[in-house]
Amino acid sequence: MTKRYWNITLEEMMEAGVHFGHGTRKWNPKMAPYISTKRKGIHILNLTRTARFLSEACDLVFDAASKGKQFLIVGTKNKAADLIARAATRARCHYVNKKWLGGMLTNWYTTETRLHKFRSLRTEQKTGRINSLPKKDTAILKRQLSHLETYLGGIKYMTGLPDIVIIVDQQEEYTALRECITLGIPTICLIDTNCDPDLADISIPANDDAIASIRLILNKLVFAICEGRSSYIRNS
Amino acid sequence: MASLTSSLSSLSLHSHTSSAASSSRFSLLPASKFTFSLAAARSRTLTLAVAKANPSDDIDTSFFDNVNPEEEVPFNPPEPPEGFVAPPSFDEGPMETEDEIAAAYEELYGPAYSGVSVLGNDIYVMDSKIKRDTGFGSKAKKEKVKDGFEERVVQVRRVTKVVKGGKQLRFRAVVVVGDKKGQVGVGVGKAKEVIAAVQKSAVNARRNIITVPLTKYLTFPHRADGDYGAAKVMLRPASPGTGVIAGGAVRIVLEMAGVENALGKQLGSNNALNNARATVTAVLKMKQFREVAEERGIPMEELWK
Repeated sequence: MTKRYWNITLEEMMEAGVHFGHGTRKWNPKMAPYISTKRKGIHILNLTRTARFLSEACDLVFDAASKGKQFLIVGTKNKAADLIARAATRARCHYVNKKWLGGMLTNWYTTETRLHKFRSLRTEQKTGRINSLPKKDTAILKRQLSHLETYLGGIKYMTGLPDIVIIVDQQEEYTALRECITLGIPTICLIDTNCDPDLADISIPANDDAIASIRLILNKLVFAICEGRSSYIRNS
Repeated sequence: MASLTSSLSSLSLHSHTSSAASSSRFSLLPASKFTFSLAAARSRTLTLAVAKANPSDDIDTSFFDNVNPEEEVPFNPPEPPEGFVAPPSFDEGPMETEDEIAAAYEELYGPAYSGVSVLGNDIYVMDSKIKRDTGFGSKAKKEKVKDGFEERVVQVRRVTKVVKGGKQLRFRAVVVVGDKKGQVGVGVGKAKEVIAAVQKSAVNARRNIITVPLTKYLTFPHRADGDYGAAKVMLRPASPGTGVIAGGAVRIVLEMAGVENALGKQLGSNNALNNARATVTAVLKMKQFREVAEERGIPMEELWK
């Protein structure tokens, strides 16, 4: 893994508020190495370690993208849903920004069935056949389509299990993380002071509450993915 | 009850040979969904086995295994290359049109499940991936043993769930799957029919396969005991020509592993499933002499002194 320059500066991260953790009462003692101080009842993360992990994560992501691997970004917080969708479309990755359905990866067979249904509904909508049925059927099908669009919209281009999964909040996406662990998929996770750093393969200690901090970290990762992709396209 | 279970177990011991005949029974079943679920179970094993097999061959996350978070490593990013312009954030800039996004995704992944094809690819490309069995002809082929594992049923029990209307009966099958070369797996499955339960447990067994360390004379390297729940099992190697001397579940697990000479005793409970799992834990504790010598850094002769 070559060390590249990812434009990670400590000032930028402080501006975005990456160093804030959660309240002191809610911490996970396993995070002790990554916490530098306590200020006003909130833990403050050690930004040098964060920056180091972030650059290593970016390197890994760049290498994987340059080999043509598939990524999945998972983030279901209400505030960050739009952000995830935009970041993933920009990086041309799959994403899950509404609720993570249980068994999406471990029960991939069933998820594929749902994707097939989604595909057939979309083709029907395109050809216009959906309006030629009676009103009630049309309404039912449209509702099904909108449901599938919200839950599966981001993974409609996924043909198999992804190679790397990026998770935004570990507490929120615990089921997704557990699924990846059982399947053996490497994960990159944004860890806050109340999360367990040993679960994910790569954990980046950062603030997961503030949109600015999620935006910053996703920016770097998306940039790394884009660079990797373009080198993959150039080499193949 | 005992006669029922014994008759059922005798039925199911030959299940994998008579399954071709029993599959014809399925023609009487009304729901074709049931047969589809069997095919699903079969294909699921293959897909999941493949999915788990090589997840991270190329992706090297070994940096993060040994990182010591306590050390004070100063953050020294490499120098920015000349003319480095920070790219805009993904929020800024004009929003791409749907067509552009669709075209870009399609270049990378093909049209997959999107239902529309901007670049003119065939949108039904994913249909070949999903295995649909049509009719009954294809099912007979799927009953045969694929991937070289032999199944042996340890126990089939009838279990009940009491509901307001009465008792709901289901069958729970414990199956041991193994090639006789050192790979075994124990699985459980429950279903309303015996054969379906046996299928499910075989699928489950294939998911938890372990390797047994065998020596040249098809026995263990050393004694081991393992426990699971209240079942304790003691395993001991034996000289060639002894055969497998062990009770019920333990014997079946060892035979399917390919062990020819061993002694085993069930201390503790007699529960078949727990004893099977306890032998698995016992076997996991065993190490080959070569591994121990490597780990300790001493030649193997020292271990036999």
